[in-house]
Amino acid sequence: MSTSLTAQDFFQQVQDGSALLLDVSPAHAYSKAHPAGSYNVPFHRRGWGQEIKRALNGQTPPLGVFADNTVIAEAAKESLTAAGLSVPFTFDRGVKGWDQEGLPVESVKDLTVDELARNLDNYVVVDVREPYELRSGIVPGAINIPIGQLQGRASELDRSKPHAIICASGNRSASAASWLSQQGLEVANVVGGMSLWMGGRHPVERV
Amino acid sequence: MIFIPIWDGSHGCASFIVGDDADGRAIVVDPLAAIGADTYILSAAEVGLKIVGVIETHVHADHHSIARELAQKTDLLVSMGHKAPLRDAFNPLHDGDQFDLGGVQVTVWETPGHTPDSISLVVTDKTRSSDPWLVLSGDSLFVGDVGRPDLVDPTPESTERAALDQFHSVHDKILSLPDTTELYPAHYGASACGGLFLSPKPISTVGYERRWNRFAQITDPQAFVTEVLSLLKPPPVDASLIRDHNLGSQQSH
Ligand SMILES: [Fe+2]
Repeated sequence: MSTSLTAQDFFQQVQDGSALLLDVSPAHAYSKAHPAGSYNVPFHRRGWGQEIKRALNGQTPPLGVFADNTVIAEAAKESLTAAGLSVPFTFDRGVKGWDQEGLPVESVKDLTVDELARNLDNYVVVDVREPYELRSGIVPGAINIPIGQLQGRASELDRSKPHAIICASGNRSASAASWLSQQGLEVANVVGGMSLWMGGRHPVERV
Repeated sequence: MIFIPIWDGSHGCASFIVGDDADGRAIVVDPLAAIGADTYILSAAEVGLKIVGVIETHVHADHHSIARELAQKTDLLVSMGHKAPLRDAFNPLHDGDQFDLGGVQVTVWETPGHTPDSISLVVTDKTRSSDPWLVLSGDSLFVGDVGRPDLVDPTPESTERAALDQFHSVHDKILSLPDTTELYPAHYGASACGGLFLSPKPISTVGYERRWNRFAQITDPQAFVTEVLSLLKPPPVDASLIRDHNLGSQQSH
């Protein structure tokens, strides 16, 4: 049962594009630092492995699980395995351990709500919440692309401009921002999302 | 704020996850062996929270704590009142210490009485108001009752001194909070840590208890002590064994 694959071996496969590395940490932690090339799919106990399987759409690449905690890493691996996916690699020593292995770490650029408010003209604000959530108000001028449509609609974004990605509390936007930055866009994640934006009494547009 | 109470009705024990959804950090308070360390880790993770503190409101004598295991599994030290006579290394808390979880602030109040090391945690969500929103009162003020003073040292002198400490913790500290503050004690119902008036309902407000808790009504310290001592239940049979387990792994010499 023990993993004979080293972190270096598996990372090589990720770089080749033959394997996928899943960082299963909460989005806030992922946003701060994560293995280069990893995707953020925070673990939960409600059919998580099946969700990943559906998202893979029939593909069956070897999967790596990355976490900063043995309990979460093991639970995630079990869930994937139960869904019939193959998990030849798990890593439970977090970003610190990854760095100690000499492997590259990336982060999503953070933007506080105050920084965004001061520089609103410089950013295209992308709100990744579902349409019904916008009723509580949006950042003035924000465009809405629900996170589930992001993959299909990323081409709508202007690659020459910096984007600020926002959601309700900064979780979904962290995942969205990391994916967009992997697609080569200049993005920042708005920490705390609309919750802090409204808490800070910043202007809100009702739609 | 994210606030998840996790209750074990069979022992009348309460534990809590308190975190900030906009910040991603959380603390766990009084984790229970009956629930298991992994449940706290996974429950926090799936609402987007990373555990950055494991706190015990006191050394428990009525149930097994899982704080040490949870702290090990999250690379932390257990945080407790600095007077806790633990055998293992821990992070000592003092009156006024704070856990900063972004918009959520948790302030430590020393509330001795049930044990000398007992603390309460006052929780404020600064994005809503500077008023405290809730207090985790440990075994100081209960719903309908107060924490018993005799489980650490059952001698009459010690019990009386502890009951007097409890008077000051309840009246000068917990009851100084605004009426709207929600009260989440560490115990309810069947718990051996309370007295004859401990309610089976696990939560209340400071205002409701101020008006309707018989011990909140007694403003004379000596009368409070007399009432507490006259209403003591027999101690739980295995209290000293459980307390010894919760004091840590290393044997004292
Ligand atoms: Fe207790």
